Amino acid sequence: MNAIQSPLTLVMNIKSPDDYAQLNGLLAKIQSAPPEQNPVWVALTKLKTVHFARFVFLSNNSQLAVITTYDGSFDKYINDFIDEIGDVFNALLAHMSGAPPLPVQQNRDAFLAYVKANDLRGIDPFYSAYPQASVITILDALNQE
Amino acid sequence: MVPLGDVQGLILRSYGMDCAAFFLLRVEDAPVARRTLGRLSITPGTLWDQKPDSGINVGFTFAGLTALGLSLASLGSFPQEFVSDAFGRCAEVGDIGPCSADHWDYGLGKPGLHALLLLFTQNDAIRDAQTALLRQTLLGVGGWSEIAMLPGDVLPGSTAHFGYRDGFSQPTIDCGLGNPFPDTQPVAPPGEFLLGYPSQFDQLTYAVPVPDELGRNGSFMVLRILEQDCAAFDALLAQSQQRYGIDGELLAAKIVGRWRNGVPLTLSPDSDSPVQPLQATELNQYDYAPTAANPGVFDDRRGYRCPIGSHMRRANPRSATIAGNGGSRHRIVRRGVPFGPPYDPAHPNDGIQRGLLGLFIGVSIKDQFEFLMSEWMNGSTFAPRIEGTTDPIVGNSSAGENKFVIPRENAAPIVLSEFPRLVTTRGAAYTFLPSLTGLRFIAGLS
Repeated sequence: MNAIQSPLTLVMNIKSPDDYAQLNGLLAKIQSAPPEQNPVWVALTKLKTVHFARFVFLSNNSQLAVITTYDGSFDKYINDFIDEIGDVFNALLAHMSGAPPLPVQQNRDAFLAYVKANDLRGIDPFYSAYPQASVITILDALNQE
Repeated sequence: MVPLGDVQGLILRSYGMDCAAFFLLRVEDAPVARRTLGRLSITPGTLWDQKPDSGINVGFTFAGLTALGLSLASLGSFPQEFVSDAFGRCAEVGDIGPCSADHWDYGLGKPGLHALLLLFTQNDAIRDAQTALLRQTLLGVGGWSEIAMLPGDVLPGSTAHFGYRDGFSQPTIDCGLGNPFPDTQPVAPPGEFLLGYPSQFDQLTYAVPVPDELGRNGSFMVLRILEQDCAAFDALLAQSQQRYGIDGELLAAKIVGRWRNGVPLTLSPDSDSPVQPLQATELNQYDYAPTAANPGVFDDRRGYRCPIGSHMRRANPRSATIAGNGGSRHRIVRRGVPFGPPYDPAHPNDGIQRGLLGLFIGVSIKDQFEFLMSEWMNGSTFAPRIEGTTDPIVGNSSAGENKFVIPRENAAPIVLSEFPRLVTTRGAAYTFLPSLTGLRFIAGLS
């Protein structure tokens, strides 16, 4: 059976030091909020296709990386993904050079193409201790929804 | 407001007629074909004072729109999956092995079909009369040729061939027609089923094929000719007690999620005749998990009442926990009618084809019908506890490969291994249902 987990290493180029400063403030605000008020937390909890997610500034704060492990086909779930977390990406992408047209909700194909073009994935093989286990399966096994 | 008089009625409501004839047509002479289209009396979505004797609707394949002479700009504005047509999307839908396009009937496995004309009538005599009339209008003057005519007939008791009463679950569309079987799901915006309106997705209106008069108020419809193996289904139920220790009728209910009389397992897990009988209007009012709007719903997250892998829970997971949280974003309207005579258990292998002429409607074949088929029917990772299984009715497993899991609360699940293939795809087509304005546009092309 094919592994159902995939790595996403989305690296976005920040427009300017000023944009970095604004992004830094924005992410600090989002990430310091209690989980139920953190839009990333709320969206990923609903989506149940993402195992782990983190934001990392790279290259002297000239890039922002979104690094996740997700289940299934990114293409197939792009509409559900955008519906749950589109506004977070609208806020981030406003500070990126080469960003797709915004809002992503109205430019879905362009957003998908942007993610694919800027996803560095990783050097294969991608290691997982449990490559067949989806978020859904793990939460079910843990009796947690 | 949806202009009901401009929308093909079949999109918005079931006609509740006993007989049907689906005509598979091909353009022979484009100018004549266009002209005859203009003479068809297409049934709109307008409310009926009195139900008519018959209804007529029409859809076109991409090859058909091309043959009718649409401009390149117009043809180029249709979505890719529609351009590819059903025979080009088998991998997406799971039409593989014996279901693959090379085995399809009526030449549907390759380009050739141009239009699908749907006739629904109150009875057989009206079907005969209307069929003669339609053939005169369309075929008599040489514009079209008939590849085949597929008759469909409602079976006694309004059941499908496996003996289930069908047709309860349909989305409620926000267009003023209501829903004879109301549900607890969100009302669908018109743009989930009609081009030109905000869709079920946030801030998204699907691109309307150009020109606007052609595309607006249109929709897309998938035809599927699904042959049902009633003998295999009967044998499965007959062996059920001995082989798996479960009553045959309970197994039938677990497979679909409803008892054969339509009572949902979630509302009545132990009997098809609950002590407090359900009204017809209650047969679609159920869910698999409590929500803010319906906190009192039994939490069936483990599938102890309705198996997570049952046909109707896969087809419409409602508020159950699923990957993507899109239980109300990939819905379809289901129409259709059985074909072939009723199955007679005294003659199990009579060699007669029977099944369903299924029609599945949505604003996006890719995001609704195809998503539903690939992720929910043939997928096994969108929900827990169904690993390595596909839908027991229409799943794409090879013969003997599928299995079906019946979770139990205080016992190990019953696993039906070597679950038989019950349904085989005999043909399919992707069609565009233009509005009445759109039809006039096509008819008026020169």
